[in-house]
Amino acid sequence: MVEKVSFSRVVFNILNYGFMILLCIVCIAPLWHVMMASVSDPRELMSSSGLLYKPLGHITFKGYQLVLKNPNIITGYINTLFYVASTTILGIILTIIAGFVISRDNLKLKTPISVMILFTMMFGGGLIPTYMVIKALGMVNTSSAVIIPGVINAFYIFMMKSSFEQLPASYEESAKLDGAGPLTIMIKILLPLIKSTIAVVIMFNIVMQWNSWFPASIYLAGRRDLWPLQLFMREILVQNDTGKILSGSDAQSKADFATNLVKYCATVVATLPILCVYPFAQKYFVKGVTIGGVKG
Amino acid sequence: MSLNKELNKTPKMAKSSWKRDFKMNWRIYLLVLPVIIYYFIFNYLPMGGLIMAFEHFTPVKGFFGSKWVGFDNFIQFFSAPNFTQILRNTFVISLLGLLISFPMSIVFALLLNEIYNTFFKKAVQVISYMPYFISTVVICGLVIDFVSSNGVITNLLVKLGMERQNMMLNPDFFWGINLLSDLWQGLGYGSIIFIAAISSVSQEQYEAAAIDGAGRLKRAWHVTLPGIMPTIITMLILRCGLIMTVGFDKILLLYNPSIYSTADVIATNVQRMGLEKAQYGYSAAVGLFNSLVGTTLLLVSNGISRKYAEHSVL
Repeated sequence: MVEKVSFSRVVFNILNYGFMILLCIVCIAPLWHVMMASVSDPRELMSSSGLLYKPLGHITFKGYQLVLKNPNIITGYINTLFYVASTTILGIILTIIAGFVISRDNLKLKTPISVMILFTMMFGGGLIPTYMVIKALGMVNTSSAVIIPGVINAFYIFMMKSSFEQLPASYEESAKLDGAGPLTIMIKILLPLIKSTIAVVIMFNIVMQWNSWFPASIYLAGRRDLWPLQLFMREILVQNDTGKILSGSDAQSKADFATNLVKYCATVVATLPILCVYPFAQKYFVKGVTIGGVKG
Repeated sequence: MSLNKELNKTPKMAKSSWKRDFKMNWRIYLLVLPVIIYYFIFNYLPMGGLIMAFEHFTPVKGFFGSKWVGFDNFIQFFSAPNFTQILRNTFVISLLGLLISFPMSIVFALLLNEIYNTFFKKAVQVISYMPYFISTVVICGLVIDFVSSNGVITNLLVKLGMERQNMMLNPDFFWGINLLSDLWQGLGYGSIIFIAAISSVSQEQYEAAAIDGAGRLKRAWHVTLPGIMPTIITMLILRCGLIMTVGFDKILLLYNPSIYSTADVIATNVQRMGLEKAQYGYSAAVGLFNSLVGTTLLLVSNGISRKYAEHSVL
């Protein structure tokens, strides 16, 4: 379709492209600032006042040396990796099972189970009663308190269910005739067909767990050795307690000016892994968001 | 299978068909048992635990031994000096998101749809979705740093005539800081769903509108927007159901006692009263009030949209 390009259209296009470029700059600038600040000369950093587009003074990796040697950051990294791996594996297994079961149409308990799950999306016990139950189970201050509660997300179950339902029944029928049980059918025949939904759930879970801090902050208050990375990040960034990370023989005297440097370096160290993975996984996130919501 | 269905239809056979069902599907039920146990323990036991909202709860005496106080906890909450304040904060912070962030995601999707350079469009998408993947802790750390008394944003505003100060300690700024940081983090990501909806609007409608002489703006208004209306309504209902949660973990990281007057919301109040001050029964009551209002808002908005827009999520 050939269209006359009107003057107003040209103006609109210029403004629109300009707006998009501006938006991208706004999205990137704070992150770029942090990256540049993390390798800047700490003394000059103290007296600077604007957004950085290049490192100040001589490039230095002192901050990274401090951060990467730090036992807290290492502990946090290991714990976070463990929580990400365990919740992902456990979560995906339970989500697949639940989605599979409520997608069966010849089950008498299909509706009760679906309603049981659906209801929790609308109403819940809330923070304090949940805490009391988990405390009564003896899970407080153990890693199970951040792994098990919340390992299943009802939304993903219904996502999985609709994926199963969209598969043609013929796949299953032929397997049934060969005498395969439900578990065999699910694992051998249906799972390979819903690979992309499984990938979506796994991706969301990885990002969510990597960034999660609240459950750990209430359930692991007394066990620093079990803290995920984000709790140490909170200590450094939000509670402004770089003292803990800098304490030690060599650092105390430098604390004054190294504080900012450590903050920025820790931010980069904690954020870079997710930002490096995300562009490659973007299509799954887009898919995940659109599965549930597009209607009509 | 068809035989099974017919058996289900006759009420007389109900008992034996249950038996049949279990006999036929016991492996499936065994498979799903862990999920049922999980939901029972971590979702339904806490719902039962809400009984503590009506008790003077002490962990030693437990759910059954604590003193029953009826609606005292609720009355205490409704007559608390900060009740209207935290209720107002909850609604203001939520509604700012609903009235500003939400429409802006739609506008952003519409504007992006007008860009025809595929590479440029893809680049904008990748970059604008990115902030969503940064953790709340890091975002809040950046915000606190940028608005501190020598922060990047503070310096900018000082040049524009603001008095130098740590903006995080001034209650006047909190709503704006929270809204803008939400917008920074969520604008691109929030638009994904609308971009997808736009791409599923039929091309024929656009062509028909173009033949009728409709310009770009008219086509966006008369074709694209009605085309994505069901998606907009669905997302709106879901947002209404989340009004009472207001991204409270972010507020928890950002706020401090000097700005409670604008930053304290119901959910943060529950956390503080319950876990820091050990007022268990009271905070469970506040939490129950919060989730009842939230569920009601969800059901009401769903009902309204079912009646007037013929779309609903539930």
